[in-house]
Amino acid sequence: MSLATDMFVCQMAAAEPWPENATLYQPLKGEQILLSDNASCLAVQAFLRMCNLPVQVVCRANAEYMSPSGKAPFIHVGNHVVSELGPIVQFAKAKGHSLSDGLDEIQKAEMKAYTELVNNMLLTAELYVQWCDDSTSAKITRSRYGSPYPWPLNHILAYQKQWEVRRKMKAIGWGGKSLKQVLEDVDRCCQALSQRLGTQPYFFTKQPTELDALVFGHLFTILTTQLTDDALCEKVKNYENLIKFCRRIEQQYFEEHDQESVLSSVSRCSRGSSTK
Amino acid sequence: MGTVHARSLEPLPVSGPNLSPSVDELETVEVEPETKQEVLENKRVIVQHVHIDGISRTKDDLLIYEIADVFKAKNLIEVMKKSHEARERLLRLGIFRNVEVLIDTAQGEEALAEGLDVIFEVKEMRRLTGSYNTMVGNNEGSMVLGLKLPNLFGRAEKITFQFSYGTKETSYGLSYFKPQPGNFDKNFSVNLYKVTGQFPWSSLRETDRGVSTEYNFPIWKTHHALKWEGVWRELSSLSRTASFSVREESGHSLKSSISHTMTVDTRNSAILPKRGALLKINQELAGYTGGDVNFLKEDVELQLNTSLLWDSVLSASLWGGLLVPMGDKPSSIADRFYLGGPTTVRGFSMYSIGPQSEGDYLGGEAYWAGGLHFYTPLPFRPGQGGFGDLFRTHFFLNAGNLCNLNYGEGPNAHLQKLAECIRWSYGAGIVLRLGNIARLELNYCIPMGVQSGDRICDGVQFGAGIRFL
Repeated sequence: MSLATDMFVCQMAAAEPWPENATLYQPLKGEQILLSDNASCLAVQAFLRMCNLPVQVVCRANAEYMSPSGKAPFIHVGNHVVSELGPIVQFAKAKGHSLSDGLDEIQKAEMKAYTELVNNMLLTAELYVQWCDDSTSAKITRSRYGSPYPWPLNHILAYQKQWEVRRKMKAIGWGGKSLKQVLEDVDRCCQALSQRLGTQPYFFTKQPTELDALVFGHLFTILTTQLTDDALCEKVKNYENLIKFCRRIEQQYFEEHDQESVLSSVSRCSRGSSTK
Repeated sequence: MGTVHARSLEPLPVSGPNLSPSVDELETVEVEPETKQEVLENKRVIVQHVHIDGISRTKDDLLIYEIADVFKAKNLIEVMKKSHEARERLLRLGIFRNVEVLIDTAQGEEALAEGLDVIFEVKEMRRLTGSYNTMVGNNEGSMVLGLKLPNLFGRAEKITFQFSYGTKETSYGLSYFKPQPGNFDKNFSVNLYKVTGQFPWSSLRETDRGVSTEYNFPIWKTHHALKWEGVWRELSSLSRTASFSVREESGHSLKSSISHTMTVDTRNSAILPKRGALLKINQELAGYTGGDVNFLKEDVELQLNTSLLWDSVLSASLWGGLLVPMGDKPSSIADRFYLGGPTTVRGFSMYSIGPQSEGDYLGGEAYWAGGLHFYTPLPFRPGQGGFGDLFRTHFFLNAGNLCNLNYGEGPNAHLQKLAECIRWSYGAGIVLRLGNIARLELNYCIPMGVQSGDRICDGVQFGAGIRFL
C-alpha cells in the first residue's frame, strides 16, 4: 500500500469504533490450513484477544484468494478489508487500540528487529519445510492445500503453489539450503528469542505486545502441528522458557475465554457469580 | 465444339447460340438449312462424366458426396443449377481457394449424343496459412497471431490456432474441426482455450482455461449442437475497492457441463434480416460429470421479422433465461445472467441492471428481455445502391427484468417477481451493418422504469456487437 493510501485508510478507520461484527477469514481449519498460515492466523487472533477486540472466525476455502494481498488471514471490519498482522496492527492503532504505546524508542526499534527476525527466519523456515522438503510436500502439504477442490484442480493448484514457493525460495537465497541448515537457522532464531525473553513473562515490560502475539503464533503452531518428523518441533522444545511462554499466553488468552463462557453459563443458572 | 463456362448462376438466354449448331451437326443427314432455335430447357441431356481437376491431397470419397447430385440433372438448365450448387458445397468445405465449373459436351468413345461432361477446376488451399494482426482496445494493445491448417488429412479436417499477447492479458485457443464426409452439417470439433476477461461493471476479473468438445447435427429443419465443456475458472477482484460480495467469489472453481442447443433459423440474414424467424433454445447441466459447480441453466432466444411497405422491417425479439443451482452451494457470479447496455436493454449502462452491492453488479438467476424494432432505410436514401444500403434507421422499444428467484415458492410467485419493477426504454437511432457478422448502433435512448441501483445511460449511446436484442 502506498503512503497516501495508508494515511487515507487510517483516517477512514479512525472515524468509526471497532464494530461487534468484525470477522476474521482463514482457510478451513480441519483439512486445508497449512502450518505457516495457521501460525499467521493464530498470531492475529492472539493480538486481537490481547487488545480485547471481539472478532468472529470464519473458515473459507478461498480465504487466500479473497485476501487483498493474497495471504491469509484477513479481517473484514465495517467496510475495510485488512490482511496480515503488520497492517492489522496499524489498523487497530488507528482505531485507538495499541499494545506498544508504552514502549520507548529503543524498545520499539528492538521490537521491529525481532519482528523482522521472526518473519524472515521462522516463517521462511516453515514455508521451506512445508513446500521444499519433498517428503513433507508430497505426504502432507499438497494434499491439504488441494483438498477443497475437485480433481484435477486439486493437483494443479497444489503444484502451482509449490512451484511458486520454490521459486521465491531461490530468489531469497534459500534454494540451495538443505533441511539441516534450515533447522539450524530455526535453532539460532529460537536461541535469540529465548535470550531476549529470559525469565520475563513477556518480551517487553509486564504487558504483551504484538511481538508476543507473533512469536506465540509461530511457536505454538510449530509445537502442536504433526509433520512427517518432529525435527522442527524438537528445535523449539530445546528452550524451556519459550514453551512456558506459549503455555502462559494460551492459558491467559485462549483458555480464559472458554473458561469465561463456561462460567457465564453456570452463572446464568445460579444467578450471580463473579467471573475471574 | 461449344463450351460453356458456368461460374455463377446467371439466367441464360433461352436460345443458346453456341450449342444448337453442334447438336444439329450430330443429327441425321437431312439437315434443314435454317438454324433451329432449340429450347434448352426441354433438351434432354445426360451427364456422363464429372471431373475434378487440381486435387492433390483431398481424398476422393469426400468429394464424391458433394458432386453426386450433378449426375441427376435431366436438362441443361438443371445441369447448370446442380453444378452451381455443387460448387457452393465444395467451397463450403473450406479447403479450396476457388472453384470453377466447366460444362462441355461429352468426349471420348462412349460419348452419347446428348452427353455432357462437367469439369470442376479447383485450387486447394495451402497446407499452412497464417495471419498477424495488432489490436488496440480499452486501454490495452495486443498482438494476435493466427495459424490455420485446412484439410489436414484430406477430408476437410481443420486445425486453427490463435494466440493473443496483450499488454494486460494473454489468451490462446486451439481448435480441431472434422466434418462427416458427405454430410458437412454433421461435424464435431475439439477446442482448447484460455481466455481472460475484465468486467468493470462487477469489478471482476475472470480467467477461463478450458477444453470442450462439440458435436453438431441437423434433424429435419432444426440444427442441434451437443457440447461437453470442462473449464477451470479463476475469479479475482479487479480493484481494491471491489465490494465484499464480489471479493467472496474470488478463487478457483471447476465447471464440467453438458449442454444442448437447438436452433431453427429461417431468416434471410443474421444481421438486419428482412424476413424469417429465429428460435434458439439452450440447456446446460453442470456438475454431474465432475467439477464443483452444480446448476441447470435454460436460455431461450426468439426473433420474428416481417417486411412492411417501402423497405421497412418490423422485428420483435424475446430473450429469457433461468439458472437453478442444484445442491447446497449458491450460484457463482460467473454463471449468472446480466442485463442492460447497448446490446440488450438500451438506455442503461453495460450490464448495470439488477442486484448489486456497493456499485458492483452481481447478476441474477432469472431474466427476460423483449424488444420491438422498426427499421427503415435512411431518410431520403442517400448513397442508395452502394454505401447507403449498409445503414438503417430504427425506432425501438426495449424492456426487461433481472432478479433472483426464491425457488421454494411456486411459479406464480416467480412470474409475479419477474413482472414487477420492469425496466424499459425507447428511442431511435442509426444502425450500420458490418459484413454479415456485426453491427454498430448509435442511438438516442430514454430509459424508464429505472430502479434504485441501476445505472443509466440516457441520451446518446453507442453500441457494437454481434448479438442485439
